[in-house]
Amino acid sequence: MALYVLRRLVSTIAVMAMVGIFIFLLLRLAPGDPAAIIAGDTATPEMIANIREKLGLNEPLPVQFAHWAHSILSGNLGISIFTGRPVLELISQRLEPTISLAILTMILSVTIGVTFGILAAWRAGGLVDRTLTALATLGFSVPVFVVGFFLIYFFAIRTRWLPVQGYQPIDHGFGPWLVQLILPTMTLALVYVALIARMTRASMLEVLSEDYMRTAAAKGVSSYSMLFHHALKNAGVPILTVIGLSFAYLISGVVITETVFNIPGVGRLVVDAINNRDYPVIQGVLILASGMYVLINLAVDLAYTLIDPRIRY
Amino acid sequence: MTISRRDIIKLSVTTGAALSIPSVLRAQSTTPAARTVRMVKGNVRIFDPILTTSADTYDHALAIYDTLFGVDANFVPRPQMVGKWGVSDDQKTYTFELRDGLRFHDGSPVTAADCVASIRRWGNADSGGKVIMARARDISKKDDKTFSIVLEEPLGLLIDILAAPGGLFPAIMREKDADRPATEQVTANIGSGPLKFNEALAKPGASFTYDRNEQYVPRKERPDGFAGGKIVNIDRVIWDNIADQQTALAALQAGEIDFLRDPPFDLLPIIENDPNLALQVLNRAGDTIFLRMNCLQKPFNNVKARQAMLHLIDQEAILQAAAGSANYTRTVHSLFGVGTPYTNDENTGWFKKGGDPEKARQLFKEAGYAGEKVVMLDSTEYAVAHNANQIVAAELRKIGVNAELATTTWSELVTRRAKKEPVENGGWSIFVSSWSGANLGDPLGTPFFAANGDKAWYGWPKDDEYEAVRAKWVDTETLDERKALAREMQRRWWDFVGAIMLGNVVPPIAHRKTLTGLIGVPKAVVPMWNMRKG
Repeated sequence: MALYVLRRLVSTIAVMAMVGIFIFLLLRLAPGDPAAIIAGDTATPEMIANIREKLGLNEPLPVQFAHWAHSILSGNLGISIFTGRPVLELISQRLEPTISLAILTMILSVTIGVTFGILAAWRAGGLVDRTLTALATLGFSVPVFVVGFFLIYFFAIRTRWLPVQGYQPIDHGFGPWLVQLILPTMTLALVYVALIARMTRASMLEVLSEDYMRTAAAKGVSSYSMLFHHALKNAGVPILTVIGLSFAYLISGVVITETVFNIPGVGRLVVDAINNRDYPVIQGVLILASGMYVLINLAVDLAYTLIDPRIRY
Repeated sequence: MTISRRDIIKLSVTTGAALSIPSVLRAQSTTPAARTVRMVKGNVRIFDPILTTSADTYDHALAIYDTLFGVDANFVPRPQMVGKWGVSDDQKTYTFELRDGLRFHDGSPVTAADCVASIRRWGNADSGGKVIMARARDISKKDDKTFSIVLEEPLGLLIDILAAPGGLFPAIMREKDADRPATEQVTANIGSGPLKFNEALAKPGASFTYDRNEQYVPRKERPDGFAGGKIVNIDRVIWDNIADQQTALAALQAGEIDFLRDPPFDLLPIIENDPNLALQVLNRAGDTIFLRMNCLQKPFNNVKARQAMLHLIDQEAILQAAAGSANYTRTVHSLFGVGTPYTNDENTGWFKKGGDPEKARQLFKEAGYAGEKVVMLDSTEYAVAHNANQIVAAELRKIGVNAELATTTWSELVTRRAKKEPVENGGWSIFVSSWSGANLGDPLGTPFFAANGDKAWYGWPKDDEYEAVRAKWVDTETLDERKALAREMQRRWWDFVGAIMLGNVVPPIAHRKTLTGLIGVPKAVVPMWNMRKG
């Protein structure tokens, strides 16, 4: 197991390096010039040329890459071209809102999604199943921004129960933190509830059709025990996979939800950076996101051993 | 498994209690900050006003820095940090004495040395500033409060240039900041202006916080444009960056923010119908939308093709499509925009009405147009320009011009417009942008006015006769002289057609009615002083 974990950690570094090189080249080849954006809409070509020179954007690509690689290997993700602040500082400012939103969304989604999935599988083909499947399809189909604006209209403008937008750090108090995140969490959870419910239903149905489940039923095992002790445990691997991938996706930033609710998270940071062609920020965020993605996948792989003893590394 | 009535009652009570938690928590957590104003006005990407022409940076700088002079709402320069000033009899030596009580936010006094260093840095980057630097024999301090500018030749516009509403913001910085090259960003954010930048609460891309500078000594005059007393009546301004306009409007309706700059035109009816909100025009000179043509490449390297565009453009139709509301738009025919001191009607009679496709078709023919592709750079991020592009492209196609919209982002547009090559090699034919009244009232500080070919702003128009007239601008001494020269420039401009005006938009700002005292300036910025809340 230890060797497996070590091997995966080494491969994480390799993945991050590949992502770094790919992103570096992609950004340099894409149209757009940070110097022109810095200089502003009404700048003269001379102003832009001076800024390009100062930023080192006129240097050959290999030289630029060497500077950047050296900085990364020194543990420094670089300095934002625009704000002049360390990229790590900018990312750390944005991590808390994103992680908060991701955790709340996953708690809500897993609780409701797994419950709905089990109920639907238990009553497969019945009214409950059809209703929950229809709701899951709806959750998938309605765009996030439509749900977001609907919730804003009802809960923030009509009733004034909840705030429209913004984020309060948790150190300003648990109450304000939670209040700010309720609407975005509800918005985002709709998709993940649907995803997890469908996956849970499919996996449960597969397990429930196994011979040993029929034997358990014949032996008089209660429905509760059958569903939660026998079926759910055996159906757990694909559900866990979906949960893990969903969490990894959420951590990388959910741009639309963050934009609709004005949450200063990682997603907004990277979109702003792409619009500005703030190369160090884009590179820094994507390298860290790829690292986190791989690590979460590793955590999910290791978690398989907890629910399925047949899996060994 | 059965569900009893008692279970349903339990579930209902639990759900009700859970739903009530947010409003209870919200009541506990949200304290109305009566002396904090929350504004949504764009996004400050760059802090240093000498490095960029961005209006948001100008707005940021306006809060934290002060200037030697500032123009009032009529574009007349007034002393700001300067207490007394004078000029020698030979008009070559200007002496300035700073007001008493000026201090930077770090507590250090503003000295003549700071002013000298700041003028030099700004003068190396700003178009108008470069004129001063080119004529200056010496810029030096006399004592801690006094400095002088000694010129080789008289420069009647010197005070106007120092007030510079259209160019880069002439911020007075600390000497140690101003000693940096103009291409190297100053991120210290320490000025001597009426508000202090709160570094600890800064969240780039999300929000910036400005606190009242209690040590600031305002002028005695009433506030007027960029001039007069800058009195801060509130404790704090939080500048939020809400990327989505619909969310920003919802936040305004819910009272989470107090001010929204540039609400989209299609959302104005919602604001007009909300009893707690008001629309107000602060920038009366508005933004003039213009169309720039690439004068180096076909077909617009021929003046007849450019004149054809003047005949083709129907400003009223474009404004209707671009902004929708006739209340906030007007046509513009002067090179100097609407409502600036130099706005005039010289040489405009022949194309004024526009909307004449037959005349345009004929002129394109005379220009030898043979179906070449006309590439229009079309940024979808800039809604007014994007809408205008659609109309212009459709009108061009109607008269047989092979117009193609190259949809792009604004950042890609500003890169591509620098290309002088033919469209087949990645060049362009047309792009649409806008200038504020402050820009169009400042022909010296605004690069748009140049028509010196390769050295001109994007589009690179060339006309030697016009340039000879424009060169006289720096030596004019009175407003009347400049007005006469403006007519002369405009007469020539509309002959060689350096650009086409598409209309003037006067965008209103939206605010809660509890926010009063907003100051209007002829630029797309909103000063944070003088406001009151409550």
